[in-house]
Amino acid sequence: MKTGIFICHCGHNIKHTVDVKKLSNFFKKYPGVTVSNDYPFVCSEPGQDMISESIEKQGLDRVIIASCTPSLHGELFKDLLKKSDLNPFLLRRVSIREHCSWVGDDIEINTEKARRLILAGLYSAAHYVPLEEKRVEVTKSALIIGGGVSGLSAADFLSKMGMQVYLVEKEAELGGHVKNLKNIWPARKDGKSIIDEMIEELAGRENVEIFASTTISGFEGFFGNYEVTLDTLEGEKKLTAGGVIIAIGFSPFDPRIKPELQYGKDKRIITTLEFEHNADTLQLPEKPRVAILHCVGSRDEQIGKPYCSRVCCINALRVGEAIKDKYKDSYVESFYMDVRAHPRGGEEYFEDTQEKGVLFTRANVAEINPSLTGIVIRGEDTLFGEIFEREFDLVVLSIGMSPPVDNKLTASLLKITLDKDKFFMEAHIKLRPFDTAVKGIFIAGSCSGPKDVEESINHGRASAVKLFGFLNLGYAYVDPFISYVDPKRCSGCRMCEQACVAKAIKYDEEKRVVHVEEAACMGCGLCNATCPSSAISLKGYIDCMIDDEISAFMEAI
Amino acid sequence: MLQDKAEKNPEIIGFACSYCTFKASEMAGSLRMKYPDGVKLVQVPCSSRVDPAFVIKAIFEGADGVFVAGCHPGDCHFIKGNYFTRRKIAALKEMFDAFSMNDKLRLFWVSAAEARRFVEKVTGMYNEIKERKNVRKEN
Ligand SMILES: Cc1cc2nc3c(=O)[nH]c(=O)nc-3n(C[C@H](O)[C@H](O)[C@H](O)COP(=O)(O)OP(=O)(O)OC[C@H]3O[C@@H](n4cnc5c(N)ncnc54)[C@H](O)[C@@H]3O)c2cc1C
Ligand code: SF4
Ligand code: SF4
Ligand code: SF4
Repeated sequence: MKTGIFICHCGHNIKHTVDVKKLSNFFKKYPGVTVSNDYPFVCSEPGQDMISESIEKQGLDRVIIASCTPSLHGELFKDLLKKSDLNPFLLRRVSIREHCSWVGDDIEINTEKARRLILAGLYSAAHYVPLEEKRVEVTKSALIIGGGVSGLSAADFLSKMGMQVYLVEKEAELGGHVKNLKNIWPARKDGKSIIDEMIEELAGRENVEIFASTTISGFEGFFGNYEVTLDTLEGEKKLTAGGVIIAIGFSPFDPRIKPELQYGKDKRIITTLEFEHNADTLQLPEKPRVAILHCVGSRDEQIGKPYCSRVCCINALRVGEAIKDKYKDSYVESFYMDVRAHPRGGEEYFEDTQEKGVLFTRANVAEINPSLTGIVIRGEDTLFGEIFEREFDLVVLSIGMSPPVDNKLTASLLKITLDKDKFFMEAHIKLRPFDTAVKGIFIAGSCSGPKDVEESINHGRASAVKLFGFLNLGYAYVDPFISYVDPKRCSGCRMCEQACVAKAIKYDEEKRVVHVEEAACMGCGLCNATCPSSAISLKGYIDCMIDDEISAFMEAI
Repeated sequence: MLQDKAEKNPEIIGFACSYCTFKASEMAGSLRMKYPDGVKLVQVPCSSRVDPAFVIKAIFEGADGVFVAGCHPGDCHFIKGNYFTRRKIAALKEMFDAFSMNDKLRLFWVSAAEARRFVEKVTGMYNEIKERKNVRKEN
């Protein structure tokens, strides 16, 4: 066996707390190791060149890259092996950054841990065999769940590029929250006009099918050919989609979760959303006294919403501005923690609102007490450290964005993950912000965390571009990590058949052994762990690989 | 008091599902959270891939503790793999109990988003084993 080991410094990220030189020297002398090098940035072009040169010149048949975690640069390093005419499944990645240099501070201890991690990779890889990825045809169609601005923008791009689009909306009408917003900031447009424009674009396209008042009731299969069941007003409907974009938006925070706000108990306490809908019909005195509370349902650890909702500060400014514009002699006071006027132009807008006469008080609001003459707010001014008590005619709660109501349902149907705040989780927050962990399933808009309209439209389009790239290829490779049976060992007990959830194992009555239907196998390895005769193995994770990994960790080799 | 030198650090092997716990461990790393170096992970496609034989093998080779970690019940990427894991590990635990080794095996659910929970779980297990290990040595 000719193994090459390449140990990455990742600049200082690894080198700082792992003695990479010591490691590469140790492995230079290790039996079966032909090359052992350390290098500043293995993923850089010269880094890649060094590896392919070693493969070609030294005739390596195993490559161990000890660097960042395997889910990063996966395709890059696989392609590198392919280009060097080596089967990409003879590569072993060892994570000495996320699982070593970043989780411990002591260089001596880390170096020893990294040594054992690499050793485990080395012993496991010794059992690797070349594997072939299977090619499957991809249906050129996309399922988009949710018809808010993010879903509409994804549908627009994909259909323009010629893909068949199925747009599924739970409500009777498209448009999500935006269709009910007036005077959207910063466009200063009516939400409905933005939505109507987007729908008009789609309406004329033959390759767009819109299902309103519809939800997803079944979801199976794999990238390229997802089998989807829809629950429509006309009954059940089935379709095949190559990929999916989830754009089911957010749900407005319900202030009833915080009873101290008295919301729902007094008509004079309303949310920004209600203000938006009823601004013209509000009954206010000539010189109204209006309080606006920022961060309602945001940045609040106690109720499990530690995140900033990104739009509520701007919404609070919009309310203040609207009142000031309509009632010149009004008294408007905004109670905030910090003003985070996120988007471009937000800071200027904040200044403008102050100039219009809206007062801003940095405060902890402690109590809200409705009385006959008004609503009394008591709290602490956190800049001056003073307790205050003031009466208002109207209190507007600037509510945040909570996860969509169908988050859990959708996540379990599509087998994807929610993040700690219960929004949909991206595969990598920086490197793959549109993907989920499942190939071909993307997220768009506010269902993956609070976003304003512009961000939601961009997110939708970006996910659509990524999905388009996958679909347009027309084919995909599926991981070859599936199970196979050694008929000589199989006793025909059929325990694996009972265990397999995918029903991928078939019994041959005549030969009295089982075999695995490759197309149906999901690659979980349950059968492998179940078979009492060790007759069935999961490629890439066979028993001896894991056994040797354990031994290497424990230095029992 | 125990002498620092005499203190033995446990070795723990954890089987981590690629779709949840392994992802949580990646995130823990990215967030620079710290946990003991004695914890080492074997990546498996699903917690149901873990053959009880692996657990026994790890103990035989000298591991002080083994954990199997997968997605929360109902969240398995392979639909029901973690239910099989739960049954298998429960049976194995009974056997461990019979040999008074119940503290050596744990099963926990950690989703991909729960980096902090991952660190808390592994550190908690590590510290408990370490304490018992050193008490035993003292006696
Ligand atoms: C009070 C308030 C004021 C705002 N003002 C502004 C502003 O001035 N400027 C700005 O930029 N942003 C503003 N926003 C933010 C803006 O509303 C969001 O950015 C935008 O709505 C996000 O679009 P979306 O498509 O992600 O989600 P949504 O608008 O929530 O759309 C999601 C769609 O998915 C559908 N859906 C949900 N579940 C399912 C399911 N299971 N199956 C099928 N369909 C489903 C919903 O019915 C909905 O149509 C404001 C938000 C609030 C709360
Ligand atoms: S391969 Fe990974 S560890 Fe190495 S430089 Fe690139 S990112 Fe850093
Ligand atoms: S469990 Fe093993 S021995 Fe039994 S039928 Fe399946 S492959 Fe054959
Ligand atoms: S790996 Fe999983 S899906 Fe494939 S045959 Fe085995 S049990 Fe069934």
